[in-house]
Amino acid sequence: MDRRRFMAEASAALTGAALAHVAPAWAQGAPDVKLEIAPLGLEIAPGKLVHTVAYNGHVPGPLIRWPEGKPIAIDVVNRTDIPEIVHWHGLWTPSAMDGSMEEGSPMIAPGATLRYAFTPRPSGFRWYHTHTAAMHDLKRATYTGQFGCFYIEPRSDAGAYDQEIFLTLHDWNAYPGGSGDSSMEASYEYSTIGSRMLGFADPLRVRQGQRILLHILNASASLVHWLALAGHEMTVVAMDGNPVPEPGPTRAIRLGPAERIDIVVTMNQPGVWILGETREQFRKMGMGVRVEYANQQGKPAWIEPPETLWDYRPFANAAAVSGEPDEIIPLRFESKFHGQGAFDSWTINGKSYPHTDPIMLRQGKRYRLQMTNRSTDDHPLHLHRHTFEVTSVNGMPLSGLKKDVIVAPGNAITEVDFTANNPGATLFHCHNQTHMDFGFMTLFRYA
Amino acid sequence: MNKRRPLIAATARVAMRVLYFLLVAVSLVCPSSARAQDNYEIQVYPSETMAPKTLLVELHSNFTVEGSTATQFGMLPTEHQEHETIELTEGINDWFEVGFYIFTAEKSGNGVQWAGDHIRPRLRVPARWRWPVGVSLSTELGYARPAFSNPTWSWQIMPIVDQTIGRWYWSVNGTMVWDVHVIPPPADATPEQKQIYYRDVAPRGVTFGPAATLTYAPSKYFNFGVEYYSYYGQLGNFVSVHHQQQQAFPVVNLFVSPKWEINFGAGWGATAGTDHLIVKCIIGRYFDWSHHHPGSSDSAQ
Repeated sequence: MDRRRFMAEASAALTGAALAHVAPAWAQGAPDVKLEIAPLGLEIAPGKLVHTVAYNGHVPGPLIRWPEGKPIAIDVVNRTDIPEIVHWHGLWTPSAMDGSMEEGSPMIAPGATLRYAFTPRPSGFRWYHTHTAAMHDLKRATYTGQFGCFYIEPRSDAGAYDQEIFLTLHDWNAYPGGSGDSSMEASYEYSTIGSRMLGFADPLRVRQGQRILLHILNASASLVHWLALAGHEMTVVAMDGNPVPEPGPTRAIRLGPAERIDIVVTMNQPGVWILGETREQFRKMGMGVRVEYANQQGKPAWIEPPETLWDYRPFANAAAVSGEPDEIIPLRFESKFHGQGAFDSWTINGKSYPHTDPIMLRQGKRYRLQMTNRSTDDHPLHLHRHTFEVTSVNGMPLSGLKKDVIVAPGNAITEVDFTANNPGATLFHCHNQTHMDFGFMTLFRYA
Repeated sequence: MNKRRPLIAATARVAMRVLYFLLVAVSLVCPSSARAQDNYEIQVYPSETMAPKTLLVELHSNFTVEGSTATQFGMLPTEHQEHETIELTEGINDWFEVGFYIFTAEKSGNGVQWAGDHIRPRLRVPARWRWPVGVSLSTELGYARPAFSNPTWSWQIMPIVDQTIGRWYWSVNGTMVWDVHVIPPPADATPEQKQIYYRDVAPRGVTFGPAATLTYAPSKYFNFGVEYYSYYGQLGNFVSVHHQQQQAFPVVNLFVSPKWEINFGAGWGATAGTDHLIVKCIIGRYFDWSHHHPGSSDSAQ
């Protein structure tokens, strides 16, 4: 048993005792939302059954749509035989409610129920998912179907659109495979948008002239995905649930693991189309969905989008962030090779979690994470419980773009600023499951 | 996901082809020379096939430092021959690839000569089946000029099994070759000499010559190890150890870039039927036809 898994089980055992004390206070009243974690045989296409774990028997889990600022109580029951935990990704929660064992959130023992109670904020497209370790077992943690969308409704109108659709991307049946730099990474057998493979899901039904708002989440455990809607231009309006400073058009979007994007599409090309991965092999694996205009039938068409070089900057302010941070925190990411037949381990400033040194923050100060990626991999980096502003990618300045996940390119420096405004232990990690399992994490603590 | 196959597999590739282009060095006067070795493409294959829409272009350069010194049955001596082979391998899908070879030979006084061509379809058990070992089946059909090979037409079937365990990698290639067309023995050969010829030089049945490799990777940028090549003769009727080919190559594989692979080594032959010293080098370059560029809409990342 690895240390992280041991800690999870120990934490779950302790939680049972702890809950006995807190239950009377927490368990008052019925929950607003109930989630049941349980094994599921998911038929992603006729005859293709994926054995996974999911929330409430569905993939994705139920959409939680909740007004900003209104307290919510969520009961989670664990019907599996291992400790579980649910992380509220992108929300400004207290550490104990964030759903990260490393921050001190309790695990949910097998058979136990835990109530999460917090006030959802900030508004926008967030999500929830398991935050356990998989290590070498690629049927656990974020490789499973334990994810769902969490939309925090803004107090003001979110925008003009005729139809709103939530889409989730996921890859299934992971196995150890090769990668471009000779290290081992997870490869997958199937990919889906929602719970069904391309050709076997209900189509997205639209009408000519409609403006469609798509909330898209990449819930893959480790893969970056590219999407396009054949024949249509998309307008990016928000990233990670936060409105972008410069909404703009694109023919294809790129989403790293855990990234979200909101796009608006004007349906002006009647027909039957594919909204899918731009790479053929992923469409063949199932990542796509049919988009059907009213009164249109036939085989869905795919049109290769023009090559799109992904860049955050067109959707941000071109000017650099005004003012200097109170402190710059250098973070250096490196991998340690253990052979082509083993996963690399990862270090931040030379140390792997849990041996990393906590980084101390002072409330109210503005910090700049200066991230030097000394690997050839792109890393989807996530800061818990806070929102950061992207200030530079590969030496190119930008401002105004608020996110909680940034894909830091390989062999480059990426910088983000954040204000320490949510006291408590705060986890920072790569959202690639194997990377975080093998050391790519560190903790921030408030002084 | 990257379309490039793992470097370990790419560089550890072996080809059991050492025997393939046998230049018949048999001498009826000196039968101990037996079936001579011809080295055009010296590598051990991995089970993994090329990713779809990916082309690997390799240049195999092999120099025989110490080999056969006499022209036998019209075939040139191998000593000081330089062989340059271009190998093109295109991935069709995640379990099938096709390779094509252009063989050339150079030697002082003879110039650069085209030696032959082969085509090599190969299929594998897809990785998604998650077998504990990699398994693949290669077949190779082709022609080589009589001056450089006996047989001229040949067909090879080669099962491949490999595995990566941490930093270690091993692969075994069980090469079987059917000599579709062989050069007949001299008309004035005695029945005894013909018998020797068809046993040691140009067997009429299927011949067997396994190859294997074992490597260790201290870092992701290189590994080192040993490659083994052999020729045992006709299945069920192996030639004597003296006439077999047994050769070991200490090798180093460099992974200087995701687009390049480099392999080099030196091989020592242990029997009379083996060229005694060969130096080899393989330089490979990957070309991605899917227009997948980092940072683009087709990016693997």
